[in-house]
Amino acid sequence: MTTSDEELAKDLGLLAALTIGVGTMIGAGIFVLPGEAAAAAGPAVALSFVIGGGISLFTALSASELGTAMPKAGGSYYYVNHALGPLFGSIAGWGNWIGLAFASAFYTLGFGEYLSTFLPLPALALGPLSLTPFQVGALLAGTAFITVNYVGAKETGNVQIVIVTILVAILTVFSVLGMLQADLTTLRPFFPPETGGATAVLPATGLVFVSFLGFAKITTVAEELRNPGRNLPLAVVGSVVIVTLMYALIMVVLMGVVNWRQLAPEFTTTPVLDVADIAFGTVGLATVGVGLLTFAGLLATASSANASILAASRINFAMGRDKLVSDTLNAVHPSFATPYRSIVLTGALILLFVVLGDIKTLAKAGSVLHLIVYGLLNIALIVMREADVESYQPEFEVPLYPVVPVLGALTSFGLIAFMEPIEIGLSLVFVAGGVVWYVVYARNQTEKRGILNQHIISQSPVDAAVSVATSVQPNGGRYRVMVPVADPEHEKDLITLASAIAKQHGGIVDAIHIVTVPDQTALAGAAAYADELDETSEQLLDAAREDAETFGVPVETHTIISHRSFEEIFDAARSHQASLVVMEWGDELHGSPGRVESAIDDLAMDLPCDFLVLKDRGFDPEHILVPTAGGPDSDLSAAVASDLRAEYGSQLTLLHVADSLADGEAFLESWAHDHDLGDAEFRVETGDVETAIEAAAEECSMVIVGATEEGLLSRLVRGAVVVDIVDDVDCSVLLAERARTRGLVERLFG
Amino acid sequence: MSRTNLTSHVLVPVANEDDARVTAKALEPYSVGHVTVVHVVEKGEGVPDKTPVEQSESLAAESFAAFRETFPDAESRMTYRRDVVEGIVDVADDIDASAIAFHPRESGRIVKLLTGDRTLHLVTSAPLPIIALPHPE
Repeated sequence: MTTSDEELAKDLGLLAALTIGVGTMIGAGIFVLPGEAAAAAGPAVALSFVIGGGISLFTALSASELGTAMPKAGGSYYYVNHALGPLFGSIAGWGNWIGLAFASAFYTLGFGEYLSTFLPLPALALGPLSLTPFQVGALLAGTAFITVNYVGAKETGNVQIVIVTILVAILTVFSVLGMLQADLTTLRPFFPPETGGATAVLPATGLVFVSFLGFAKITTVAEELRNPGRNLPLAVVGSVVIVTLMYALIMVVLMGVVNWRQLAPEFTTTPVLDVADIAFGTVGLATVGVGLLTFAGLLATASSANASILAASRINFAMGRDKLVSDTLNAVHPSFATPYRSIVLTGALILLFVVLGDIKTLAKAGSVLHLIVYGLLNIALIVMREADVESYQPEFEVPLYPVVPVLGALTSFGLIAFMEPIEIGLSLVFVAGGVVWYVVYARNQTEKRGILNQHIISQSPVDAAVSVATSVQPNGGRYRVMVPVADPEHEKDLITLASAIAKQHGGIVDAIHIVTVPDQTALAGAAAYADELDETSEQLLDAAREDAETFGVPVETHTIISHRSFEEIFDAARSHQASLVVMEWGDELHGSPGRVESAIDDLAMDLPCDFLVLKDRGFDPEHILVPTAGGPDSDLSAAVASDLRAEYGSQLTLLHVADSLADGEAFLESWAHDHDLGDAEFRVETGDVETAIEAAAEECSMVIVGATEEGLLSRLVRGAVVVDIVDDVDCSVLLAERARTRGLVERLFG
Repeated sequence: MSRTNLTSHVLVPVANEDDARVTAKALEPYSVGHVTVVHVVEKGEGVPDKTPVEQSESLAAESFAAFRETFPDAESRMTYRRDVVEGIVDVADDIDASAIAFHPRESGRIVKLLTGDRTLHLVTSAPLPIIALPHPE
């Protein structure tokens, strides 16, 4: 092989990339929408197309930068998920996917309209549903598009280029002939009062925006582009500019030839063909003209629908890679080598939308969902820039940063306001669906964290290059004790305890400092006081390192910036593969009690590793009291007690409260034997458990108690449950809870 | 002219994990010299691929791993080509293979029509010996 594999994988040149964008977009604006568009704003709809192009241009620039920095399958979804985290990732993923299905249904219906101009299609009544001939045509066509994608029938290499070239050629001839026929007076008044004059322009932009969905599809195949640093921005921005100019020009031509009122849907379903009849008629080729434009309309809508189905499967793949959907959806067909399940599912949605929707609603609902994704995409760019992630090295940078992405986000979200409530509502259903999906499914599956809420400044002495949390360092089988330090006052005691345990297991101490920023604070804000953070973190973690090093235990330190604190400890324990977390008891330190999210969390939360929570009243392991009633959590207390004894030669007292002294002694005997604590002092009491523990604790310097009740720990730390022992004894108390995977029933009732 | 051993270095094309496992089992009973397993990613060359590059690559990696369950020492090659058969033949040429050994996958006529009967194409167009392996017991 003369070329490297890397080169072979990249086989799309600039022209191919450009035609993906132009080919997807051009179908809608010119062939399907002009009637509706004309009715919406009259000749001024040409301005709507220009405004739509402008909004797209901002996002196109942002998408280009993100695409050159992260040439990953999935495009927009990937950037949002990567930068803003899986919650927004779920919204963008679902939004993009369903948005594409809406748009495909819209293109397919358009195809049906052109099909029915020459093919007599029947209207059908299926039970309560009645289908127009357009819908019948669209269903046939949709089924054909899905089949083509399912089978992966090989288009000859340059088919897309050929199709787009033919389309552009036909439209050029059409425009030139049309212009010869156009009469500028037909265009007056430019802002007709019937449509609301100039105020109709922005709502019409909302309607025609569907014509611009397509440029971002180029980014979904960025990894296949040759020289993406140059070709991606050229193709993305270039395709937006090209189609904007063509749309504006052709709208002027259409409405210059035929009065806009005559183009409206009540007069004709295919205004382009009416105009072609006149334009080509002057050169005696009316039939040829109508035939050419019909052919072009079919070609254009088919290529738009096809490209959208393919793009949807890319988004499914990317979501599966991030575990936001099950990866089984992305299985590859053994013979056809296509992601057939994803295609069938998207295809089913498209056919469903064809049956249920009308052209206008589909177009606008598709646009709203895409606008949400585009808005998020612009925010993602700002986050990536501000987070200053080392691996983020775009070859192309948006001009006039931050003006372009800020305008991109504002105009994308702003345009949504000009849609009808029904279309916004329909889209919000899917956004809400994305959120619910995240809460119920994805957050338990995904390991991916957004740059925004998980920006780690690593200070690891072992590996200084670690910059984001996704870089999970395998623990290599070492016993890793993670210590979230928060308060300089107790840092020493926590680290001492952790180091003592780590030392007994030949393990390692991992000190982390979690800095919480409010949800409202974008990373831009967090980064602004990063210096301040760095200083606090550095002091804390330096102290932690010194303290751990006195034990001769290897230590790693990390600062994590997050929107969550307590939850973050769980996440960090998981991603750092901690064996044990040693943390401090504090109402204020590790969470905000009583938050709604906490309740949801508790339902979903598994304890990823063993936890020790220290109520710190001075670390003194001289005489340790271990109250026990058996159970897995008391196993952990026994293990910790035995570690501390090995390190400090502590005196151990085991306490059991039983109904009778004889029973109690028998239990303690066997329990101590099982845990190699046979030589400890036994103390058996009857009566009230708490009183007994408090009495015994008076002689001791530390109490280690198992958190016996499932789920107790997380509630304790949040301050939801008050355990009297902890408050009533005078020495330090260590609560121990074992790692657990709770079943659904336990989560709900445990 | 010196004679080369027909099986001194066989190239074994695999399409996916299952195919790799079955093919390896099919080859196992026979004594062969060097074994190289190859996976060709079908490229669009002008149109986007059917699957993302990343997915194609992980599919290849899974296939190789499955093949190595039986032939741990097999070398692996991956290439990207619009025409899968051409890709296989090119790799064979590149590594100087003595023969290509493959396990024909069963597929109906319609699938063959749609995917272009690669078995026939491989057998008739390759410039080196092709060994069709019977289905393993």
